[in-house]
Amino acid sequence: MQNVPASALTNAALSQENLLIDYLQRLERHRRDRRAVHIHLSQLQPVNRRDNHMRIAAGSFESMVKLLQAQAFTLANADLMVIYKASAQDEVEAAIVRLRYLFSDDPLIVNDGLDRVFCDWYSLDREYEQVIELAQTLLREEQARLRAVQEKAGMEARDSRPKGTAFTPDLLVRTEAALFQADLANLMRRQAVCAVVGQSPPQPVFHELFISIGDMRQVMMPSINVASSPWLFQELTETLDRRVLSLLNKHDDRTLENDISINLNVATILSPQFLTFDDNIKAGARGTIVLELQKVDIFADLGAYLFARDFAHDRGYRICIDGLTYSMLPFVNRERLGADLIKLVWEPSLLEEKDKKTDALRRIGVTRIILCRFDTPSSIEYGHSVGITLFQGRHIEAMLAEESRRRGTARNTRQR
Amino acid sequence: MNATAFGGKPQEVITPESLLFDAAERIGRIRDGRMALHIHLSRLQPQNREENKVRIAFRLFEGMVDIFHGQIFLLTSMDIMLICKDARLADLDAIVYKLKALFNKDPLAYSDEIEGQAGFASVYDLSAHYEDFLALCAQLVPEAKKLKANQQAAAQIQELDAKSLVRVLSGIGGSKIASALRRQPCVRITDDNTAEVMFQEFYMSIAELQKELAPDVNLLSNRWLFQHLSQVLDLKVLEALQSAGFQRLPAAYSLNLNMSTVESPMFRRFHASLGNNAGLFVEFQLADIFSNLDTFFRVRDDLKAKGIGTVLDGMNSITLEFLDAELYETDFVKVSWSGDMANDIITADLTNALGPVGFDHVILSRCDSEASIEWGLDRGIRHFQGRYLDSMVAAVTMTHCDKAAACTLNQCNARHAVISGPLRGECGNNEMLDSFPSLRAIR
Repeated sequence: MQNVPASALTNAALSQENLLIDYLQRLERHRRDRRAVHIHLSQLQPVNRRDNHMRIAAGSFESMVKLLQAQAFTLANADLMVIYKASAQDEVEAAIVRLRYLFSDDPLIVNDGLDRVFCDWYSLDREYEQVIELAQTLLREEQARLRAVQEKAGMEARDSRPKGTAFTPDLLVRTEAALFQADLANLMRRQAVCAVVGQSPPQPVFHELFISIGDMRQVMMPSINVASSPWLFQELTETLDRRVLSLLNKHDDRTLENDISINLNVATILSPQFLTFDDNIKAGARGTIVLELQKVDIFADLGAYLFARDFAHDRGYRICIDGLTYSMLPFVNRERLGADLIKLVWEPSLLEEKDKKTDALRRIGVTRIILCRFDTPSSIEYGHSVGITLFQGRHIEAMLAEESRRRGTARNTRQR
Repeated sequence: MNATAFGGKPQEVITPESLLFDAAERIGRIRDGRMALHIHLSRLQPQNREENKVRIAFRLFEGMVDIFHGQIFLLTSMDIMLICKDARLADLDAIVYKLKALFNKDPLAYSDEIEGQAGFASVYDLSAHYEDFLALCAQLVPEAKKLKANQQAAAQIQELDAKSLVRVLSGIGGSKIASALRRQPCVRITDDNTAEVMFQEFYMSIAELQKELAPDVNLLSNRWLFQHLSQVLDLKVLEALQSAGFQRLPAAYSLNLNMSTVESPMFRRFHASLGNNAGLFVEFQLADIFSNLDTFFRVRDDLKAKGIGTVLDGMNSITLEFLDAELYETDFVKVSWSGDMANDIITADLTNALGPVGFDHVILSRCDSEASIEWGLDRGIRHFQGRYLDSMVAAVTMTHCDKAAACTLNQCNARHAVISGPLRGECGNNEMLDSFPSLRAIR
């Protein structure tokens, strides 16, 4: 229920810089006969850096991309990075000649080789580390730029009126009233937490059931800027908790027979509604239920958390701390808090100072970590390299879908 | 037959205690082999015997005693009573042990005896001591009626919800804020055993504010809504402090603020208004910090860059078990004193936990006794806050004050705590009241 879409994070994860690093990492074992060229379009004069110029520049490599000879990345600073097979050297050079012609009046081209450089060439075979480093620098620069933009936006938001109506207690009253009438069943989402071992397809371990906050906002409060008051939003999640519990109580399908996880507030676990829920599920056969908690909720009242945790453990629930990033780990000590699992949010910086970070993750217990919110297979590779085997996120959903499609096809083929 | 203190039938005369008494009477003739187990949850500290926690404890208890086919009662006082047959003492011990574990942060659970009373649970052998047990049950009946009457009076106070919050917010005005504003000095003890006021902490008395704004609502009953309210209050406090009529400015202010407040134009204005005339500290709460750790780091670094001190507030023996206070890199860590800290094991744990912070960066707050100061000094703590020191400050003030002859120590104490209103008006020497003289020979 506290599944707030981290859109900024997702955008960052999907950036060309990230994709470039991901692509390079996958090439690690295939770097022979691969080359790269970094074209410094960002240093062209502004008049030559319009959108149509950039489109034409990227388009110059399109035919090679289609023939799987090359992969082009248009970076946020307007530079182009092209990774290509050595066999396509001539075509790449030809494309660059066309670009030079296109921008022939620009000081960057006029002075190329004097004090300016239009493009840098690399051989991945020999200079792989250097290219990775370059890509990481580009990513860092882009992230710093994004942060600066966000900070500026944040400051503007603080100083001037935020977009959308501010979330006020008045609106909370109305939203809560609406929530009690709304049919939340169709806002309920499920996402699998899977074990992925080696190359075998993901095996669901349990499914997280949650209300899509994004969809709920669209339906119930489209013009309200929920983020304008995090505390009122937190209060809203407690109302949602109770709705979800009653929804699960009514579920006549087999949802509760399977292993599931739900997001709850500590106060909800201590409420009569949860006891009723516990009674109801005790009656029937049920799987393991994981209770996902937010760190702010845990630390807002540690005494209440400890009580709820002991009760939940006694009743056979497991506790998972949701939404942690690497930098938060020293502050949220899983073992001392007595939680069974944590969810670690994927971020490319996990690859930096990897040994140090791996040690830290092993101290937490890699079998206790669910790596989540990632969009590319390299995150799974990363997880495996440190010993993590539990994963969740859109990429896993895609893998599951692909797997079930493949099985369907296999079945159909056999049937024929 | 289970009777419960929650959601019982509206027939007022029947209490769980009266049902217990009936049951105790009936088993008089068949007392052989029967035992009673009394769990004294009413002796827990208030925050541990909240309704929802007791409800859960009762539920766990029910599950464990199922096999005895006994009768269980959740009494009005929150105590639990079980009457059963042929249970082994060891079984009952095991149940008590498990229930104790649930409350293991409460002194009742970890100390064997409290003020001469058996602590957490009592067992009665009904074959041998039936009459005593019956007498106890009889005594509980009128006590329960009294308790119930009190509870009904307290029930008039409703919990804070979104609706009442709207009402509370609309009633907030400047004068009400100023009269609910309190101050308390934080005292630094120097090497030559004199003490001086390092800062004056200004904070909202929530009890006072509740009286002013909404006597029928418990403002602290909803954590998240209170947090929202506190953001609004922060701005009002900053406003009130700027227009306070101090005869002498504090050497330094310390304010409990939300991170969002620290990033507001109002805070910048407040800081600018101090100029070089007074220092400033900001105290942060865990709930706020954990709402966004990155914001906390940014705010903390911003404050440090501006020469504003930072305090990690609200630490105690429980919180320090679950976090490393030094990681927050604040100038001070404020630890609340409680009597149980004198316990050897807890003292050792705290010494370990605060070692990396450095005891000279610790403020021991809520010091209400000489023992608390002694404990702190023995650990190497130099900064103290609390009622005990307030009285000392008032006492020293009176020795210096030319108008002291007309006042009592309690009056001087109470007047120190406010910054406006009649209490302050009654004081004949407001300048003295604001001056917080240094103390000598603290030990």
